[in-house]
Amino acid sequence: MKYVIVVALLFVLFSLGQALFYLVKGKGQSGNTVKFLTVRIIASVVLFLLILLAMKMGWVVPHGIKMVPAG
Amino acid sequence: MSEVNADQYFVPHKARWPIVGSIGLTATVLGAAHVLNSETTVTPWLMYAGLIIILVMMFGWFGEVIKESEEGLYNTGVDTSFRMGMIWFIFSEVMFFACFFGALFYARTLSVPWLGGEGTGLSTNEVLWNGYEGVWPTNGPAALGGHFEVLDPFHLPLINTMLLLTSSVTVTIAHHAMRANHRSQTVIWLVATVLLGAAFMYLQVTEYIEAYHLNLTLESGIYGSTFFMLTGFHGMHVTLGAIMLAVITVRVAKGHFKPDRHFGFEAVAWYWHFVDVVWLGLFIFVYIL
Amino acid sequence: MGHDSHDHKPKGFVNRWLMTTNHKDIGTLYLVFAFAMFITGGAMAMIIRLELFQPGLQFVEPDFFNQMTTMHALIMVFGAVMPAFVGLANWMIPMMIGAPDMALPRMNNWSFWILPFAFALLGSTLFMDGGAPAGGWTMYPPLVLQGGKNVAYLVFAVHLMGISSIMGAINVIATIMNMRAPNVGYLNMPLFVWTWLITAFLLIAVMPVLAGAVTMLLTDRYFGTSFFNAAGGGDPVLFQHIFWFFGHPEVYIMILPSFGVVSEIIPTFARKPLFGYVSMVYATAGIAFLSFIVWAHHMFSVGMPLGGELYFMYATMMIAVPTGVKIFNWVATMWKGAMTFETPMLFSLAFVVLFTIGGFSGVMMALAPVDLQYHDTYFIVAHFHYVLVPGAIFAIIAAAYYWLPKWSGHMYSERLGKIHFWWSTISVNVLFFPQHFLGLAGMPRRIPDYSTQFAEFNMMSSIGGFAFGLAQVFFIYIVVKTVRGGKKAEANAWGDAKGLEWTVPSPAPHHTFDEFGPVDLKKMAHGEVH
Repeated sequence: MKYVIVVALLFVLFSLGQALFYLVKGKGQSGNTVKFLTVRIIASVVLFLLILLAMKMGWVVPHGIKMVPAG
Repeated sequence: MSEVNADQYFVPHKARWPIVGSIGLTATVLGAAHVLNSETTVTPWLMYAGLIIILVMMFGWFGEVIKESEEGLYNTGVDTSFRMGMIWFIFSEVMFFACFFGALFYARTLSVPWLGGEGTGLSTNEVLWNGYEGVWPTNGPAALGGHFEVLDPFHLPLINTMLLLTSSVTVTIAHHAMRANHRSQTVIWLVATVLLGAAFMYLQVTEYIEAYHLNLTLESGIYGSTFFMLTGFHGMHVTLGAIMLAVITVRVAKGHFKPDRHFGFEAVAWYWHFVDVVWLGLFIFVYIL
Repeated sequence: MGHDSHDHKPKGFVNRWLMTTNHKDIGTLYLVFAFAMFITGGAMAMIIRLELFQPGLQFVEPDFFNQMTTMHALIMVFGAVMPAFVGLANWMIPMMIGAPDMALPRMNNWSFWILPFAFALLGSTLFMDGGAPAGGWTMYPPLVLQGGKNVAYLVFAVHLMGISSIMGAINVIATIMNMRAPNVGYLNMPLFVWTWLITAFLLIAVMPVLAGAVTMLLTDRYFGTSFFNAAGGGDPVLFQHIFWFFGHPEVYIMILPSFGVVSEIIPTFARKPLFGYVSMVYATAGIAFLSFIVWAHHMFSVGMPLGGELYFMYATMMIAVPTGVKIFNWVATMWKGAMTFETPMLFSLAFVVLFTIGGFSGVMMALAPVDLQYHDTYFIVAHFHYVLVPGAIFAIIAAAYYWLPKWSGHMYSERLGKIHFWWSTISVNVLFFPQHFLGLAGMPRRIPDYSTQFAEFNMMSSIGGFAFGLAQVFFIYIVVKTVRGGKKAEANAWGDAKGLEWTVPSPAPHHTFDEFGPVDLKKMAHGEVH
């Protein structure tokens, strides 16, 4: 699960980078920049929901040690 | 092939502000160094004066550039130069954060386990830090700063993540509105973004206060160091981004930018996305994993 | 200097220099500043060599000696070599690619005008209680944190230098990528421009890392953090990793532009185009890439997992391959060329030979098991001084002689130039070659006193040092004399040198290539290579 999260984060970074690329390339026409920024924000929200789900289901525990319920 | 138009590339003939900036920077760090060394020859006012000079410099410098831009002095070549300046500045920021993330990863995966006796750290652990287990989060074998508790990631950090993600959504909506030339909508969504950013900063301060109540301080060993330095530098960047967004909002309200020509807007919007992604990384690596 | 009315040079110090946006004036500022720092750092080296002239403590306190070694390095690296190359970049890059100026002229001004303040801050520590930083330029904790008040000043000065370097590098990249004349492609660019493009990339990648590292030093010292404190779970070795992740690319930041300079000069005086232009570009990029993945070879003796030692050893040895390509290409450029030996060519030839000596001792130290013996001895000192003094500094001097006619409009005296060359080259070898033997015999570096068996070689080295220092004072005389007057230089000062800078008059007018448009590719050194 950890790895899924890290890979998703890398994807977010990648689309952010693509947006940056088109920020420099696109002369005045921000079509691509805004497209990739939209991709990146959607991906981030999905990643966030994934983290929430993972923690709810106990697939990921903060720092791997804390808050283990007794039962 | 080169991308500059054949018309004149604008070269300003006088740069008044750089030397002001240098004086401001020097005053700031000189004042800060005096404060850090608890010297009484110069009061902290030198530092504040320096910061004010830097602010004046930024207003003056950017004001000059904005004026020239609105006067139409900049051709596409100048525009591209600014874009390149921006992208490489961002790259340097990425490397700066990478340095602190690197310190975090090094401590978590190498130095703390070594202190706990893993690998070649066996005798170090036996002789120097006998009994230390090296489990993250830690304030080290000497338990510097005393016992501390970590913050519950489900509480403030979670709310903060939602705030910042929402602010990125609103800035994206503003971006789309800008391109569709809906000026008043752009302003509304930008204001929402700035407010969300301010709320984030407010909660971040609250969180720090809470952390100090849990005895999690800057002096709480390597965990406290990495936690506060990473979130602290991130907070500084959020503040900077929010100020830039506020300036952009005023400019949009004043009628600057065009649907097909708004680099200043895009750069700031992108910067905000960048700050948000850094936070996601922090949330994942500092609070959760 | 010629003072034509159509030149539009602003009048008065404040207008002309303080507020300038002109790449040539800013280049001059950088070069003059770098030279002043070179003499300052050199004076510190003279104190070091004076103390080491004989065994025993003669002239200075050990702590002051340590301050000298630290400040000498910081000033030479950040104050002399790097600004000198930025100065050359400012002067030459726009002229070499047919651009009207640097891409971001105001920021260009700021990158220079931070430097005097940064070095005033650093230099002021010499006069404080506890003196200047004395823990070595590498600033290793915990030693450096035990300095007095200077830690804060050191850290802030490094921050300011970093800001300056990053802004300078951003400007270079934007200029090269965006301001080339319309028909100049990347593979038409002179090699000096290419090497600077790659150097600028390295600068932006590593200066923030250094800034982060010294920030951690600052908080460890004043705010109680534990980045480099094992008791708190940190690790002093972490600093060394971060520092050398910056530090290794940094040494290439100082040498890649030298490669560029030499690659301009040798073809001119061999009267042949550069051999293997494209391979030179790739080799430069290869060296730059490798510089990011070899940093821990500076730390073989600090303790690392065995796998790490082996990896860093092999990766480091790989650097010899692209470097060898370069040496080969320079030699092949001269092969059957109609060579003449003017001063810039002499310095370039000395560069090729003496830099290679430094390169070979580098390969020796790349071997982890052998390095355990060399580490922290004078062998290291000899190695990096061979690559930096007859390497980087010689390249800068060669560049100064090569382009001085273009800058000042006058030819320097060839006779004085040759005297300067032989004086420098002989003395630099007397200075540094014996240090190899000292190191192999076990003399540690950064130490004011030594055992008597090292006396002869140290005395020899000191004599070479004084002679070399004096030679550079002589260089000031030559430069000042040339700027003041002398034989008028032609537009193409070397007769048939290639490059756009030789198509404009000498001295270069205040503004060049204002009429932005295509340039004559045949005039460029590599204009027709494809």
